[in-house]
Amino acid sequence: MPVTILAPKAMRQDYGQADKQNISDDSDDADSSNGGAELDYAELAKADAEGHTHKRPRIAGGDFEIVTPGEVITDDPQWMRGHGTYVAAGTTSIISSVAGTITRTNKLLSVRPLRARYTPEVGDLVVGRIVEVQAKRWRVDVGATQLASLPLSAINLPGGILRKRTETDELQIRTFFAEGDLLVAEVQQLFQDGGAVLHTRSLKYGKLRNGMFVAVSGMGGGGGVVRSRRQVWTLEAASGGGPIDVVLGVNGYVWISKHVETPEGLVEKTSGITNLDESVSATMYSSQNDRIGPETMREIARIRGVVTALVDNGLRVDEDMVMRGYHEAVEMAMVSSVGADDIYLGGERGEQLAAVLTAV
Amino acid sequence: MASTQHALLSPAELAYLHAALSLTPPIRPDGRSPAQFRPLVAETGILPGTNGSARICFADGTEAIVGVKAEVERTRGGYEGEIVEGGGAEEVVTDVNDEEKKGESDWVEMTVEIPGLRDDDATTAFLGAMISEALLADGGFSRRLWINRRFHWKLYLDILLISPPLSYPLPLLSLTTHLALLATRLPRLKSEGDEDPFFDDDWAAARYLYPRNKKDGKTTARPPVTLLVMAVGNNIIFDPAKEELAVADVALAVSIGEDATTAATATGDDASLMMDVDSTTAAAAITSARNLRLLSIRTIDPPSRLTPSGVPNATNTAYGAATTQKQPEARTAEAEAVEGVWRAPRGGAKPLVMAALVHKVLEKGGIADEVLDALHAVDLG
Repeated sequence: MPVTILAPKAMRQDYGQADKQNISDDSDDADSSNGGAELDYAELAKADAEGHTHKRPRIAGGDFEIVTPGEVITDDPQWMRGHGTYVAAGTTSIISSVAGTITRTNKLLSVRPLRARYTPEVGDLVVGRIVEVQAKRWRVDVGATQLASLPLSAINLPGGILRKRTETDELQIRTFFAEGDLLVAEVQQLFQDGGAVLHTRSLKYGKLRNGMFVAVSGMGGGGGVVRSRRQVWTLEAASGGGPIDVVLGVNGYVWISKHVETPEGLVEKTSGITNLDESVSATMYSSQNDRIGPETMREIARIRGVVTALVDNGLRVDEDMVMRGYHEAVEMAMVSSVGADDIYLGGERGEQLAAVLTAV
Repeated sequence: MASTQHALLSPAELAYLHAALSLTPPIRPDGRSPAQFRPLVAETGILPGTNGSARICFADGTEAIVGVKAEVERTRGGYEGEIVEGGGAEEVVTDVNDEEKKGESDWVEMTVEIPGLRDDDATTAFLGAMISEALLADGGFSRRLWINRRFHWKLYLDILLISPPLSYPLPLLSLTTHLALLATRLPRLKSEGDEDPFFDDDWAAARYLYPRNKKDGKTTARPPVTLLVMAVGNNIIFDPAKEELAVADVALAVSIGEDATTAATATGDDASLMMDVDSTTAAAAITSARNLRLLSIRTIDPPSRLTPSGVPNATNTAYGAATTQKQPEARTAEAEAVEGVWRAPRGGAKPLVMAALVHKVLEKGGIADEVLDALHAVDLG
């Protein structure tokens, strides 16, 4: 069956139950619901019957409460405002500035957004895509609110020669990176406004090829790539796939590619700084893929499926989860009707995979 | 016609995707089989203020809502005011021939809204044109809107894409429109003949625009569906995602309709009549043999043509090739394909591939059959 059509998920039933353990009780901010749209009809009807409007009840259970931008969280002055909140001038009420869940740390109130863009931090490993080429720098999309910049002076020149960047380099800036090119880089510096400056001055960084890109939302909602000890690793793929590199950018951009002998590997064989430079120039700015076998391609697609399944089901994406998910996916394919070549991990299969991973 | 904004992909990615999709069997980025669609969530009747509505949500997060509103409109060119009181009685013929029930294409008004795009944007206009073209191609649809010689229903279809266009939204919008039309109901006509139309207040008695069989609740005729099909090499791929479309050699929008084999069923009144009288025979005849009909084919300009080509290592100056290269030489180097280097496809589609595409859609038990079957199963509350 090529098409699977699912019925929509039912609305949460516990939503209508009023939570009396709220930070603010209902009478405190009864006026806050007057301005916005009221969506809970059952509650609205109840409120009508009682002759006054109620604040929208929050999800009970106390684990998390969802607020929307502009919603008054509390007007009790004992609370301090944290991230994702603001205090309007002349009042004491703390208002949410994002849609997300409330977290309380002692007397500090903050709202964790459900979806957020990546906030760069110095030292983060990111995967980015060139969107603009300027005279002396590139502008790179890293999924943040602003484009990051990669100065011409922050890349390794081919040939590995350490020298001043000349006008010739500026003229042929597109031979290094052109629009659309993917690269892995590190955040070197942050501007006051949150914009990032990247650098690729290491053999680990540079242009990406031989593989597939997938963007997952970073942070928020529990899913996405999290900062962890190792963001880049090589795994040995099942069914003759050979070694595969996985790069989990902290910004939620993921790169999965066939492992090619890295310059570091060559370093061990050769000696001397000049040889190293030669090997750098051999791979640095190529946009030509090596020969990749179908087995490798299949396994790369399977890993991509694992990553998207993890995100779709609100699980974190890190080395441990991806590896466990991958082994689980290989097992699942073994028992599948199609056989070991079955790499589809969407829809129900993704849920199945997530269920297995969370059960352990 | 260009398909939305093209996805920005690097030459290395494009080369990889193209290589993976050209394998037999192709390896799609999300692991689907070539004919597999993305799983979708569908529901109907979500907008209480409309005559029919539907919502479809793809697993990748793209979501569309379609609402259908109907109003009675006086038919232009109909004999307005010609019926004199009393004298008109003879003129009113109760049974009108099917041939006389003719619809016009301006009885359907369609608006497509895509977030981030202007209403008069070429993409939006083209999407709207493609969906309405499929609907109005054979005149069968507008004939359903015929009330009598003087009046007809005017149908307003509002097609809204709620999410940003993550992939080319044509199949999503078309499927949603299909479901909304299936769920569309029009008030039951109480008046007879050519008098001013007068309708039954009872919404429960309203007739479906596409009347359905009482026994199994299935419709006898169905609105058209437009499917997006693409080819890479010799592989034919259905429901391409954005990055797949970015390396397509050919992309086609194929509209198919289900021909009501017994043409009489095409009109609302007759079909409902048939349901009452000899539902068993008619329904059996129609459900057993689905008669698919090709309504239209549009080529979609695949975004792959606009992509930058990769630079082979041999001519890459950053790779160490000589910097001084003459332009003519560079051109000859571009002409020959190097493995692992992306080259934007040139030229038109091969006729054989086109024929194979269409055949694959229309063949018995093929994709169109299964898509229509799957849409059948959606609960039309």
